[in-house]
Amino acid sequence: MTLLQRPLLVLLLLVTHHLLQCWIAFGSVDEEGQKQEEFNEELLLKPLPDRKVLAHFHFQSSAPPSTSNGRHHHLFPKAISQLVQKFRVKEMELSFTQGRWNYERWGGFDPIASSNAKPPGVELWAVFDVPQHQVDASWKNLTHALSGLFCASINFLESTSTYSAPEWSFPPSSGNLRYGTLPREAVCTENLTPWLKLLPCRDKAGLAVLLDRPSIYRGFYHSQRLHLTSTGSGSKGTDSGIILNQALTVVLQPIQPNGLRASMDHASEKHIQPSWSLSSIFGKQVRGRCVLAKSSKVYLQLDRGLVAELKRIHKENEKSVANGLTSENFWSYPSFELSANPDRIVIEENSLHSKSSSILYNFQVEKYSESEPLDLGLTWKIPVVWLCQSAPLHSSRFLMGSGNERGAIAISLKSTQLREGFMGAFADNERCELRVDVFQVVPWYVKVYFHSLQVFIDQQPKAVSDVIEKIHVSPSKDKVSPGMMEMVLKLPCRVKSAALTIEFDKGFLHIDEYPPDANQGFDIPSAIISFPNFHASMFFLEDGSVNKSPLLSKFQEKSPVMSYTEVLLVPLTTPDFSMPYNVITITCTVFALYFGSLLNVLRRRIAEEERFLKDKATKKTGQLPLLLSKLSAKLRGRPWEPPHSPPSTSFFISSKLVFKVILVAGLAVGWQYYFS
Amino acid sequence: MATFINSKTIFRLLVLPCLLLYSSIAHNSSSVEATMHTNNWAVLVCTSRFWFNYRHMANTLSLYRTVKRLGIPDERIILMLADDMACNTRNKYPAQVFNNENHRLNLYGDNVEVDYRGYEVTVENFLRVLTGRHETSVPRSKRLLSDEGSHILLYMTGHGGDEFLKFQDSEELQSHDLADAVKQMKEKLRFKELLIMVDTCQAATLFNQLQSPGVLAIGSSMRGENSYSHHLDSDVGVSVVDRFTYYTLAFFERLNIYDNASLSSLFSSYNPSMLMSTAYCRRDLYQRRLEEVPVTNFFGSVMETIHTDAAYKALSRKDSGRFKAQMSLDQSVHHHERRTLINVNDQDEILNTKAEDQQGASTCPFTSFYEKLRKGENVDSLVNYGLVAMLPLLGVSSWLFQ
Repeated sequence: MTLLQRPLLVLLLLVTHHLLQCWIAFGSVDEEGQKQEEFNEELLLKPLPDRKVLAHFHFQSSAPPSTSNGRHHHLFPKAISQLVQKFRVKEMELSFTQGRWNYERWGGFDPIASSNAKPPGVELWAVFDVPQHQVDASWKNLTHALSGLFCASINFLESTSTYSAPEWSFPPSSGNLRYGTLPREAVCTENLTPWLKLLPCRDKAGLAVLLDRPSIYRGFYHSQRLHLTSTGSGSKGTDSGIILNQALTVVLQPIQPNGLRASMDHASEKHIQPSWSLSSIFGKQVRGRCVLAKSSKVYLQLDRGLVAELKRIHKENEKSVANGLTSENFWSYPSFELSANPDRIVIEENSLHSKSSSILYNFQVEKYSESEPLDLGLTWKIPVVWLCQSAPLHSSRFLMGSGNERGAIAISLKSTQLREGFMGAFADNERCELRVDVFQVVPWYVKVYFHSLQVFIDQQPKAVSDVIEKIHVSPSKDKVSPGMMEMVLKLPCRVKSAALTIEFDKGFLHIDEYPPDANQGFDIPSAIISFPNFHASMFFLEDGSVNKSPLLSKFQEKSPVMSYTEVLLVPLTTPDFSMPYNVITITCTVFALYFGSLLNVLRRRIAEEERFLKDKATKKTGQLPLLLSKLSAKLRGRPWEPPHSPPSTSFFISSKLVFKVILVAGLAVGWQYYFS
Repeated sequence: MATFINSKTIFRLLVLPCLLLYSSIAHNSSSVEATMHTNNWAVLVCTSRFWFNYRHMANTLSLYRTVKRLGIPDERIILMLADDMACNTRNKYPAQVFNNENHRLNLYGDNVEVDYRGYEVTVENFLRVLTGRHETSVPRSKRLLSDEGSHILLYMTGHGGDEFLKFQDSEELQSHDLADAVKQMKEKLRFKELLIMVDTCQAATLFNQLQSPGVLAIGSSMRGENSYSHHLDSDVGVSVVDRFTYYTLAFFERLNIYDNASLSSLFSSYNPSMLMSTAYCRRDLYQRRLEEVPVTNFFGSVMETIHTDAAYKALSRKDSGRFKAQMSLDQSVHHHERRTLINVNDQDEILNTKAEDQQGASTCPFTSFYEKLRKGENVDSLVNYGLVAMLPLLGVSSWLFQ
């Protein structure tokens, strides 16, 4: 009986163990309250006003702090965790971007625009958890490691003249922050592939399947981002927890399956937005989720402006529908059609400073499979025109001046009509002020004169001290460090336009420091303009599902509205690189000709020369015996060389030696013959 | 006079043993060279910047694809591309690079790993990769971590001239630099055999200064000749491949990893009238016969598998931390040369214990010496040993001659 009971008991234990494991896997919390590693994948699609579509992929992997896990990871990429452990990175963000985010058309106020729009090229910033004096060394090693990991020349950021240490203007203010950009870095497949390899399903399953290289890089804007935060590495025994957010934002032009571009241009006059589906923009469909992902969701977002416009159209068309808009009937509007039924609809809680709230349609990828793929599409039925919400001030930056000697950088801020809406919130204040933070880094060869800073408000020059509340400047050192400028501006709320100008001289580089394509010009990295009074966040009705979605909780985070300005291209004086060579050859030739002829004239003695020639003619016969005797002396020195005509004196010696060598060789041959 | 001469001869006699010893040492070092071929590396370099040099990048990527197809993994390929063509704004086909008008094959694929790109492709970095002299923080993926058992393929393409190759249109790699780097690699035991393949104008001149053994070099054109592009793709707008590389690929497309085509068949496949230049192969530094060397020794990662039953009946001895695996004694199996495995530590241990307790007799140096002798191997070294042994006799004879 007991014999029978024992296997049963074991079986029971096994079953409970399995159940427990399943429970842990799904609940992601085990008995000790310790979290498991998690992976979530989400995709947000959004039609843009200028007939384009935004796709925002968001992948989150998290590794909780643990003592038991040690260095082992189930889902979390090992490469990243090693990076964090080795260089003690507290927070880091790396972005690869191609194209420029169009703040006017694609929006500048929503979380995607303000935290995912990045400057062209590579941007890297990192906060280290090391003593102050080790930060630079850690940064240097980190750039090298990242360059190996992501197949990019990030290691160019190691030199002190390329990175800076902003003190307070860059959002994660900390003393151990380093910030560097490479505006001209190319971004291509070789950068995307290692980024995808960090995902547990790579690009083989789940939402990442959509990332077809040619269709992504055909887009107007493309930015891949990697952001990580490590949490709670207090004691040395425990590994710190890491949250890794990987986001990829693309702006694509839907390809019309049935019409040519030319015909669409005609149609665009009627403002019918192009219809699109996943297969038409990516050429692929979602065939099920990544099985390792805890959640896999697709969202379709209609932004605030679009929803307001649709409401207006709806009210015009169907006045009979008196009751207010409810989420249940909204998506069945005749204005557009979705190819798949959304599983739920999330409506943004109306924020105080906007007329309408955006709507998110949620699709659960779990429901779809190989046989029934999700090919989410949007078909417009009526023409719609709307505008995206932009930042309080539209910022742009340009160069002034001409010539190769000096110039000026100007940052212009223009108010957007949207700002009128905000006025209500601030109008009650007696002295309404708009705070703008400016952070700008200029390379050392652009020698900025900080005293020449001028401020214009509504085209009127103003005293710098009136407008600039706080300024921090670290001047550049030649070939050592870049110039950095951090400013806090206080602008009156009713400002129409503001401009900052600052003059600079162009420096000279050493001939070895010019890049191979120096004639193209040199880049001044983007300036960052941020508006700390405004927060680009969306609030959703408190719901369990919202908190579970990393993308939506990211949207809810309070972050200041930020925008990047254009990269400036400064033409520097470039030498004619072949000039030194030409100069050297020409001068050498001239000198040689001059001195050669001069020397010839001065030193020549004709009578002497003639006498010498005569002497030579008489001596010619007597030289042969001398030469022969010299030769024999030489041969005596090395008699073992094959003698052409060995003189009789040295014959005996050489024959003696030859005899010896033959003797030895004979003995050796005999030895070998004997043994074989 | 006579005594003077004799003292000179005695001096020479003293030099002779040194020479003999040296030759025997040299022979030993040549047995080090006979280290087994254990791994393959490829360094593929495109040195040209700017869009109109699209074909150079396509050349390099074609070779990259070929060596990857034939089995060299990405971590053993150092790919240097001087410019970004795939995502260049002028490229009508983003993230795609083609080497043929028919656009059947996207060379860029989904899984390309570029180790050095853009401004990083400089003569300095190239020489650093070859010689392995990097800063400590440089990641492993950017280093050539080859060893004395490596076969390395070094492919370079770009614009060149008499004894130089231009990098990025701004600096030059001279043939002396290349020869010095290769010599340094040889000294540092960074390769066993090296195949240098160059597709530039006057490519053959780049090999003039090479002097390290084990190096085989092939260039697309002789001195005074140009290397031409193969054809123009009117969609891409530029020439997409060079002739030499095109015909190299044409040769490799027919092959798979199991084929046994030899290097000589590759070299003889170059037809000067098709290439519009004369492919030049420098083989005086290379010991093996090209007919016997399969192309997969360089372009693939196909190791020669040696069936050894040493684990069962080992006839071995430990020789200064080195384990010499004796091949099966069967003469009918054509083993031309004795192979030496270096640093096979785990096998070493197992076999040492076996050798010690089982075959105590065979570990005696004289027995093994006699064994070697019986099989007629290494006649040269034996002659050398014999000559060294003759030294006392020689001394006596020279003394008698006095």
